[in-house]
Amino acid sequence: MAVTEAKKSSKKRKQIHEEPVVQVEEVSQDVGLQMLSDEEGEDEDIASDDGEVDEFPEINVESDSDEEDEEDEEDEGDEDEEDEENEDDEEEDASDDDLGIFPKAKTIISDITGQPKLVYPEIEPDYDSDSSTEDDPNRTGNVPMHWYDDMPHIGYDMNGKKVFRPARGDELDKFLDTVEDPSSWTTAFDKSAQTDKPLTAEELDIIRRLQAGENPDANYNPYEPTVEWFTGKGKEELMPLSAAPEPKRRWVPSKWEKKKVMKIVRAIRQGRIVPAKPKSTQPQFYSIWSTPTDDLHPAPLPAPKPRLPTNAESYNPPPEYLPTDDERKEWETQDKEDREREFLPQKYGALRLVPAYGEFIRERFSRQLDLYLAPRIQRMRLQIDPNSLIPKLPSPSSLKPFPNHKALKFVHAKGRVRCLSISPDGGWVVSGDEDGVVSLWEVIVGREVKRWKYEGKIGALEWCPRTDVSFFVVGVEDHLHFVVPPNLPSPVLALTQSLLAPATLPPAPATPSPVKWSSNHSVDPSLEQPILTLSLPPSTGVPKQITWHRRGDYLASVSSGEGQGGVWIHQLSKRHSQAPFKKIRGAVQLVLFHPTKPHFFVATQRYVRLYNLAEQKLLKTLMPGIKWISSMDVHPSGDHVIVGGYDRKLCWFDLELSDKPYKILRYHTRALRSLQFHPTYPLFASSSDDGSIQVFHARVYNDLMTDPLIVPLKILRGHEVSDGLGVLEVKWCSRQPWLVSAGADGNVAVWCS
Amino acid sequence: MASTSEAARPVVFTTSTPYPLPSQKFMIPTTWKRYQLSQLINKALDLPKPIPFDFLIRGELLRGSLGEWCAERDVGDEETLNIEYIESVMPPQKMSSLPHQDWVSSVSCKIPEHFITGSYDGSIRLFSYSQQLLQTSHLHEAPITSLSIIPQTTSSTDDTTSYLVATASHDLTGLITRLFLSPESKPKTESLASLHLHTSPLASISANSSGTHLLTSSWDSLIGLWDTSIPPSDEIPLEADTTRSSKKRKLAKSGERPKRKAPLQVLKSHTGRVSKVIFGRGEERDEGNGYSCGYDSTVRVWDVESGMCTRTVSASEKPFLDLALMSSQTVLAASTDRTITSYDLRAPTSSILTSSSSMIHPSVPSCITTPSSSPSINNHQFVSGAYDGVVRLWDLRSVKSPISGFKVNEGGKVLCVDWVVGGGGGGKGMVGIGGEGGVEVWQVGMDVSR
Repeated sequence: MAVTEAKKSSKKRKQIHEEPVVQVEEVSQDVGLQMLSDEEGEDEDIASDDGEVDEFPEINVESDSDEEDEEDEEDEGDEDEEDEENEDDEEEDASDDDLGIFPKAKTIISDITGQPKLVYPEIEPDYDSDSSTEDDPNRTGNVPMHWYDDMPHIGYDMNGKKVFRPARGDELDKFLDTVEDPSSWTTAFDKSAQTDKPLTAEELDIIRRLQAGENPDANYNPYEPTVEWFTGKGKEELMPLSAAPEPKRRWVPSKWEKKKVMKIVRAIRQGRIVPAKPKSTQPQFYSIWSTPTDDLHPAPLPAPKPRLPTNAESYNPPPEYLPTDDERKEWETQDKEDREREFLPQKYGALRLVPAYGEFIRERFSRQLDLYLAPRIQRMRLQIDPNSLIPKLPSPSSLKPFPNHKALKFVHAKGRVRCLSISPDGGWVVSGDEDGVVSLWEVIVGREVKRWKYEGKIGALEWCPRTDVSFFVVGVEDHLHFVVPPNLPSPVLALTQSLLAPATLPPAPATPSPVKWSSNHSVDPSLEQPILTLSLPPSTGVPKQITWHRRGDYLASVSSGEGQGGVWIHQLSKRHSQAPFKKIRGAVQLVLFHPTKPHFFVATQRYVRLYNLAEQKLLKTLMPGIKWISSMDVHPSGDHVIVGGYDRKLCWFDLELSDKPYKILRYHTRALRSLQFHPTYPLFASSSDDGSIQVFHARVYNDLMTDPLIVPLKILRGHEVSDGLGVLEVKWCSRQPWLVSAGADGNVAVWCS
Repeated sequence: MASTSEAARPVVFTTSTPYPLPSQKFMIPTTWKRYQLSQLINKALDLPKPIPFDFLIRGELLRGSLGEWCAERDVGDEETLNIEYIESVMPPQKMSSLPHQDWVSSVSCKIPEHFITGSYDGSIRLFSYSQQLLQTSHLHEAPITSLSIIPQTTSSTDDTTSYLVATASHDLTGLITRLFLSPESKPKTESLASLHLHTSPLASISANSSGTHLLTSSWDSLIGLWDTSIPPSDEIPLEADTTRSSKKRKLAKSGERPKRKAPLQVLKSHTGRVSKVIFGRGEERDEGNGYSCGYDSTVRVWDVESGMCTRTVSASEKPFLDLALMSSQTVLAASTDRTITSYDLRAPTSSILTSSSSMIHPSVPSCITTPSSSPSINNHQFVSGAYDGVVRLWDLRSVKSPISGFKVNEGGKVLCVDWVVGGGGGGKGMVGIGGEGGVEVWQVGMDVSR
């Protein structure tokens, strides 16, 4: 066995160097004894240093080695205390020799349990053993000693007893020690014992070796004598190990090797093996989200971010998140799919009390499934200049003429001006206020030519569109008065009179109407009195709108009163009035005649209905989406309708296109009050309670493919807002791009181009 | 004198006045204003009586110093400025005011020592220069829109002077009225003839310089040509209806009913309201010419004899409100787009718009007038009234801003202006201004030298 052989060899070496070894042993023994007193030991040490440097390691080797034989032989006397342990050691060593590593356990009957138990021998903490460095009485371990600064003790020993702080002198004592105690310079401060300890000779030797730059292990001999195993006298190898002749394959090239090489060569030639094939650097597993985009395939979709946890997911949620017992019970009885959330909020006193999340794996898995299976779309953020989205509109200056300044204003002294109308030739304006005053004035000079006074508010005014007669209708308090302006040429006046107050009344209609027609046949043309008065049924209220059919024979009026809608259509030639609707849904706001067809628009509070009067049926219902319709006008072409509402919206309908608005404009800051298309110019204007009038260019094309062009042109300001009411009515001059507006502040303004 | 810091500019003076400077360059300090420049010219010419001058640089009147003007316009330091100088006009002064109950639609200063006004209450009023109301005669039931004095050669008999006054009204007729003025007695009026053509209110009436013909324009786009002779009997039969009974009664009360007169000629080619028609000034070529403007954005020149439209100037979207002749070939027209534009009628017909310059107003200019009694002098000045109540004096050479402006009638609308030169105050011009609050008379200085 190797160990015994090594022992033998070491014995041999000992035998070889017998004499010096003996000497050294003696010296070491001396040193070991004398080390008790530092001074002398040191002296000796130095002396030995001087004399026998080379032999010194030999001592250590033998003293430290585990060789039981030598110990037994030489050190028995030193180790009196450990006799008992030695016995154990010997047994152990024997087993050690047999088994190799571990000491053998003894089987003992336990006093306590009465069962056999294995008792291992105690390990002697030797230099080589692991615990040899732990002979420190203070067992606090590697903790900073300043933790014990304030304590009387400095730690605990193996048995848990306090190790008290040894007394330490002050600085003076220390200094005196350096002077008086010759061994003080070979002491060092032991941190764990909190005291100065003299260094042992071994330690001093290690220090010396380190200083001298030698190997600190005294055991190590760098100059081991060469052991000549096979050389030297009598050890030469004369013969080879085998006498067999050398085989042929030692020098003939291998056929199989050649075949193998040729196979590879052929493969290389055929390209099955690429000699300088680049190793693929791509890892086998990679994040599918992070591969860069190439030209062929779209970039990988970024993984959607998981939902962030909310307060309910907190380990310490606010109490309002905690479920009550009922809720908890309900949650537990529900199916997993039906649960509103997948967990119940729970409260924990501290974060360390929070258990591991039970659903973690399942959630991860479902998330992975989501990422893998769920179809996702990529939302591209568009890089669009917002200005480029604004439609290209022609500049307003290229769309002249349109009204852009207030040329003059006409003042009604008291009362809001609710309504106005412009004569078909565009020369005269009639305006009526809430005080019952109707004024007739020139458009461009603004001089009042005539004034009529009525009892009650003027609700509506409208000039007859016929050019061969000239009169206008005033709506006051259940009555419609037909008034003839002054200074008419005699043929026109005569025709007007014969129309409104004919000498022979037409035959009475078969069904009597509750509307009474009473003409004033007086010869006096002073025209203070209305030439014809229609008395609507009582309590129909103030007529709030009067509208003419374009031929000037039919006239529709809408009254503000309750019931029946208050819509009447009057026919002048037959002197007959009829209510077109027996029953109507919703309160009628406005009515309008279609300019070219026998159609009739009726605007209720939310819808605009288009009726065919000839066939007496509903054609279509326009849904502007306005809460309360305030105004409406039809384009002269008849295919487009604009509807304004009190909720500030203006809807443009293309009747050919849809029941829904083609365009919804919302530009006024307050409710819309009035709208009108210009009869000849491509313009329309809207007025609002914010006191402003907006003028738009509205060009309508004949071909059905081109959308109407709507360009905002001008905001006309100048009317005061009084009591939250702004501009109540706007009307266009028929032949000029001039606008006349009536305001709640009592002013009527003329806006010229 | 800090001559080093004072920059100077090269300047060349030109003028169309009878006081020319030799054409040479002057170095003028930039701090100089109108006063210093005027003094310089007076001194250089060694005039016996100092004449104040105004200075025009590139069509603009010099208001501040020369340096300020250059800084505003960003004109380089080394550039030679061409300065035209004109005799300056004195700032206008208010002479008198003639209060009216109603709006005044027309005013005339053509009768010496008197003003005659036509009002919206249908009356004409005669005032003396001492602001005394001499006569009120209610001629029309409807507002009078225009009034014109018909110059007459044979009128005065002993002390009594008589004038023919033509009025146009909303009641679709014009009226020729004879006005008798005598120093002793109260003036009298006598309605002679009524003009029946139009079917819409009349917009304007005007007589030619010799007093033989009248032109009326109306909202019905017609222009009527009339002579001023009074027919012995009605040329148009009285309408059988009863609408005019009250008027008839009234006229019957006053004595003789005016004869109903028919037009000589009807000039048709306007498509909208004809807002103004005037005769030429009686100079050599435009004797028989009529000029009209209307809401159809055209200015038309008529050969009155033949009733043909000889020339049409079409503007784009400029409804014209008033028209005045600057010279025989230059027409000024006021439109509702707040400009007064001058049109040169000499330009070939085929060429498009021949607007030479347009003067921009802050409000709608309602009326323009040129000095009436100085047709021979090549004048550049005219007066415009606007709806904002400001009357402005313009010089055609300086179209960017008026020479002066003054507010009349506390800001009421100005509806008519009339300017007479050489009337009362020795070569001074007198402008009668009628409008919303009555009539005011202002003295507007012509060239100070005269």
